[in-house]
Amino acid sequence: MNTAPITSWEGAEAYFTFADKPALLVAITLVGIGVCVWTIASMAIHENKAYKDM
Amino acid sequence: MEQSVPELMARLDSLEASLSMATTINSEVFYWWCTALMLAIHAGFLAYEMGASRAKNALASGMKNLIAFAFLIPAFYYIGWWIYLAFPTGFTITEGSEAGLPWSEYMGPNLTDNASGIFYAAFTLFAATTASIMSGSVIERIRISGFTILALFLGAVVWILGASWGWHPDGWLTTEWGLHDVGAAGCVHTIAGFFTLGVLINLGPRIGRFNADGSVNNIDGHNMPMSLIGLMLIVMGFFGFLGGCIIYTGDMWTTIYNTPATLSAFAFNTLMGVAGGMIGAYLVTRDPFWMMSGALIGVISSAPALDLYYPGFAFLVSFGGGCIMPKLNDILVEKFKIDDAVGAVAVHGFGGVWGLIASGIFASGYPNIAGPDISFVGQLSSAVVFMILGFAPGYVLSFVLKAVGLLRVSEAAEVAGLDKAEVPASAYPESSVPAAFTNDPTSPTPAE
Repeated sequence: MNTAPITSWEGAEAYFTFADKPALLVAITLVGIGVCVWTIASMAIHENKAYKDM
Repeated sequence: MEQSVPELMARLDSLEASLSMATTINSEVFYWWCTALMLAIHAGFLAYEMGASRAKNALASGMKNLIAFAFLIPAFYYIGWWIYLAFPTGFTITEGSEAGLPWSEYMGPNLTDNASGIFYAAFTLFAATTASIMSGSVIERIRISGFTILALFLGAVVWILGASWGWHPDGWLTTEWGLHDVGAAGCVHTIAGFFTLGVLINLGPRIGRFNADGSVNNIDGHNMPMSLIGLMLIVMGFFGFLGGCIIYTGDMWTTIYNTPATLSAFAFNTLMGVAGGMIGAYLVTRDPFWMMSGALIGVISSAPALDLYYPGFAFLVSFGGGCIMPKLNDILVEKFKIDDAVGAVAVHGFGGVWGLIASGIFASGYPNIAGPDISFVGQLSSAVVFMILGFAPGYVLSFVLKAVGLLRVSEAAEVAGLDKAEVPASAYPESSVPAAFTNDPTSPTPAE
């Protein structure tokens, strides 16, 4: 997969992967936020189960 | 050797470009190491809070710190840095702040931007420090999920809004009221302390903390030496924190308000503040835990005017803070029945307010670059803004979490210990912890 936004280092500015695809950057951000929310939800579920098992 | 004028000019341009790049790299290196040093704050909070917990809760307390740290890094990337750039004028979005959005070309490797990443990193560590201030107060009865939500809101939203208002060259508290708070006593410590107070009101005390007649029981942590080492690590990390509070320009140092300063000024007053706070807290408590907390109080007491105070006077301001804050903690516990397990509301919340008030009394009249001179009214009014900005969201969010059952652990889990209830590991697997160290009233006490 070619993720490079540049073809040469000459005059390069933002050169991180997908830098030339802003919609994809937004999507990656949303997935990251989703991972955090999902993990916090799983944390709460784990706690509920642990308290029930006490 | 003869050189033509164009050749000499080209050589001069080349030297200037090299000098400029060296300055840029020096700046990056400086904040890189400040950020690294700030990690000691989190090692310190980890040790300090685990030690302040009973053995049955040691790992759960530590988990809480680790989780808050891990979640705050992406949360600050997703929203925190943008909030700082967006809201210096209040609640309207400042033009150009989109540079801080996570899909901006500046929020990743960029050969034309040597600043965004390094400042994002330093501010992220400030954010994690702010959230960790709350962490110790709520040990041994808060749900980790509820704590994580509170820590994210405090660290990635609330404090950084306060920083945008009052710890920013264009922040309205400075441009309108002349706020001067170079060491972030207001946006970090006051906000975190009062946010914590709001949470503690809804969270309630640990089981056994208060008797039916209102008298108070001490609940000792299982490892005071670990707590003391942790507190010393926090003090060490504060040299990275306060280093990150000063701006490296290449020509000279400035404060975050663009007033000229020296790192020497910070060195003088940070050390004298640490000493004053420790001595003051020792004088009134004789307690090593409070003596080390006094070191933090000392830093916070002098923080707003670290660049301005005569060091001998910073020592006295911090000594005063070290004497007063343990007494205010006693009032919170004994009169208001607030179970703050480590005294963070007094150390950070009241300590921050004291620092701002003291600087208003003793450092008024100094000019600002943007906005009126430093004044008592300006410092006091800003302190009130920080108190409200901390307390209101802390109280409201914890109230909502309580209503949906996400704030406090079950009674059975609290009595048995949170490690047993929810952590798939054991703090001390090869040793049997005597009941005397767990403070568990249901466990038998070893024969004397």
